[in-house]
Amino acid sequence: MTKENQYKRGLSRRDALALATGSAVSALVGFDAGAQSTPKRGGVLKVSANANPSSLDPATGGAGSDHTMLFPMYDTLMEWDYETLKPKPGLAESWRFSDPQTLVLALRKGVTFHDGTQFDAEAVKFNLDRCKTEPRSNLKADLATVASVEATGPMEVTLKLSQPDAALPGILSDRAGMMVSPTALKANGGALDRKPVGAGAYTFVSWTDNERLIMKRNDKYWRANERYLDGIEFAIIPELATGLRSVIAGQNDVAYSIPARQKPVIQRAKNLTVVTGPTVYCIQIYYNWARPPFDDIRIRKALNFAIDRDMFVKATLDGVGEPAYMNLPSKHWAYDPEVAKLYSYDPDKARALLKEANLPQNFGLELIGYTDQDSIRREEIIIEQLAKVGLKAKFTNGSIAEMSAAFLKDKKGDGLLSAWTGRPDPSLTYALMYSKDSYFNAGRADVPAELPEALKQTRLTENIDERRKAFAKVQRLVMENALVCPIAFQFELDALGPRVKGFKPNLLGKPKYDGVWLEG
Amino acid sequence: MGSHGALKVVGRRLLQAAPVIVLATFIVFALLKLLPGDVAVTLAGDNASEERIAEIRRVYGLDRPFLAQYGAWLWNALHFDLSRSLLSGEQVLTSILRCFPNTLLIVGMALTLALATGIPLGVAAATRPDSFIDRTVMAIASLGIAVPNFWLAMILVSVFALKWNLFPATGTTAFSKSPTDAIYHATLPALALAAGGMAEVARQVRGSLLDILSSQHVRTLHAKGLSPQIILWKHGLKNVGVNLLTVTSLLANRMLAATVVVEAVFAIPGMGNLIVHAAIQRDFPVVQGVVLAMVIVVILVNLIADLLCAVVDPRVGR
Repeated sequence: MTKENQYKRGLSRRDALALATGSAVSALVGFDAGAQSTPKRGGVLKVSANANPSSLDPATGGAGSDHTMLFPMYDTLMEWDYETLKPKPGLAESWRFSDPQTLVLALRKGVTFHDGTQFDAEAVKFNLDRCKTEPRSNLKADLATVASVEATGPMEVTLKLSQPDAALPGILSDRAGMMVSPTALKANGGALDRKPVGAGAYTFVSWTDNERLIMKRNDKYWRANERYLDGIEFAIIPELATGLRSVIAGQNDVAYSIPARQKPVIQRAKNLTVVTGPTVYCIQIYYNWARPPFDDIRIRKALNFAIDRDMFVKATLDGVGEPAYMNLPSKHWAYDPEVAKLYSYDPDKARALLKEANLPQNFGLELIGYTDQDSIRREEIIIEQLAKVGLKAKFTNGSIAEMSAAFLKDKKGDGLLSAWTGRPDPSLTYALMYSKDSYFNAGRADVPAELPEALKQTRLTENIDERRKAFAKVQRLVMENALVCPIAFQFELDALGPRVKGFKPNLLGKPKYDGVWLEG
Repeated sequence: MGSHGALKVVGRRLLQAAPVIVLATFIVFALLKLLPGDVAVTLAGDNASEERIAEIRRVYGLDRPFLAQYGAWLWNALHFDLSRSLLSGEQVLTSILRCFPNTLLIVGMALTLALATGIPLGVAAATRPDSFIDRTVMAIASLGIAVPNFWLAMILVSVFALKWNLFPATGTTAFSKSPTDAIYHATLPALALAAGGMAEVARQVRGSLLDILSSQHVRTLHAKGLSPQIILWKHGLKNVGVNLLTVTSLLANRMLAATVVVEAVFAIPGMGNLIVHAAIQRDFPVVQGVVLAMVIVVILVNLIADLLCAVVDPRVGR
């Protein structure tokens, strides 16, 4: 079977692994890595971290790169399943919607924060209220549907919602669900940017900016016997190639989110283990559909037909990815295979649509992108593929912060080649990109009339089957109206040193070190 | 030069320093504000609404007029308060004091290496012009100038760190914690940085020494019957001194700038690292603080070079 065929029927995990790593690699690790040997206590895991944390307070920070450093220190109310991101119990032992606008959480007993403060209903209420009111909190939008939080028992919290919101369990498995010690918050003026106190498996030791973040084992952790490390040390190395070299040299044990072009480097290093797995990280072209040319659905569709996604994955991701036909990867619980069929590669159709749109002579797309090596490579391929259907495109490049703001805030350019890093609950992904007033809808343009209602439907019930159906409708609306041009999901590519056992990648692409232990 | 002359040099330099500092920090501040990109967007996080970004601007005072923001910064800086990083909340002065020793160690080692190898090479070449030694030294020097230091850095890492495991590939240890370990970590970065400097020093020493050795007064010295050794060491090198000091100060300043790249390759938390991250995220208090520190260092280096020049050549200070 050819690789093309594999992709068309959707990759199985094994195929993805085989494809992604090839036979030359010394070892392959899947979700069940290390299961055959018995975990052992002890040792400090050294991780090459890709960015300095924006803050170690979950409410005041904002970068997606923080999570991998926050998860070890903060337990969340809900957690997510590594493979599907379905919410599962965490600090909340169970939860139920007593009616669509009331969410009741039953909390785990016997949990304490690192400073000895008891974890209870009051603590949860304090945390959620703070996320909604603290001036520097970045979580107000996450909890927008929460009207009030009441401690309805010593270990029971009731959330009254302003509208049905089944996405909340997912949201509470992310930043908003990270529980911070109320005692520490009160003592430090409401935020703990540099002195985190959570209820997680590891307690904070020190953080030196752009250098090192150190945490040590929390022996009082409620699952202490399932955590094997004495501590975790993050060496902050934003230059990913340098981070990878630090693992090859044995200075660190883990490097994560390595660009696919570094795959040969990992393969040459005999002592490393390669880990890959699907993620929700979607490389895509954002459209500004408020004005020409992308106010014309035919042009938006033409791009979707013109890009050969299989080729793109092979050429730019070295196979460490899969084609994207919507904003969810094929392994996601809400993925809809029918929607995926909407835009198979069809240059003839693209040409016909462009002809119909009757673009002016010498028309050229003004796209915006980034200056890093990977982005440039992607741009070259997109320019080439668009040229094949007779569409000229030009990219203006700059740094990520600069160009994202230029497109999303200052409304420059027709489209932006960037990525969507994903959210634990897909309703957030869709709401944040395809609502009339959301930041990621660059033109703040009108969305299809049925979309807001369809989005609301995805939050009505917690029943996975019904939600899947509701999402299928949302995805269909987004893709039939071609509000975006999704191109590829970039898979996680991690390099592990020889000591590391029990590491599992996850669909969110933000590594957790729960079951990790060190050998020797 | 008497103490009076030295005071005059110091006084003049310090007077010049004030406008340079204000101008440099103002230009950098203006550039940061002129460039697209906004720290408020970074601060607001991944899923920010426009209201949230506007709110952040209010909370952090980013909505004030440009000059008011710069004025506030300058006023605080005059009171030795460099304020805090917008992103990490750390005192900027703390960050600088933490990062600067790392950079200083690399630059210091690189400069020492460059002088220790560059001067003998230059002398060897100048005393035997057009010989095999001269041509070899000049070839090495051309190579040293042509090779970019980030490339050399990566070659050094792959050979000495990854292949032979002689030196660490990344990271650093604070000099105050363990001087030997700090030097061990700084060796490869210093080597990468020193190559260009060594070449530059060798060329300059060779050039000015050749000039002097072929000058009229050296011819007179020869005629008087002085030995070539005395002519070279006493009369030749002394006259190279001023040139060498000037090159060294320029080199020191250039190496400080080059650490931006070398620190990235070796993941060294120094000044270069600090300013790059701050600039990318428009964390202007940090950028301003680093620029201020760098300007002061450059002014100090130049001042020391001037004073030393005046000592070596009394004509300079007058």
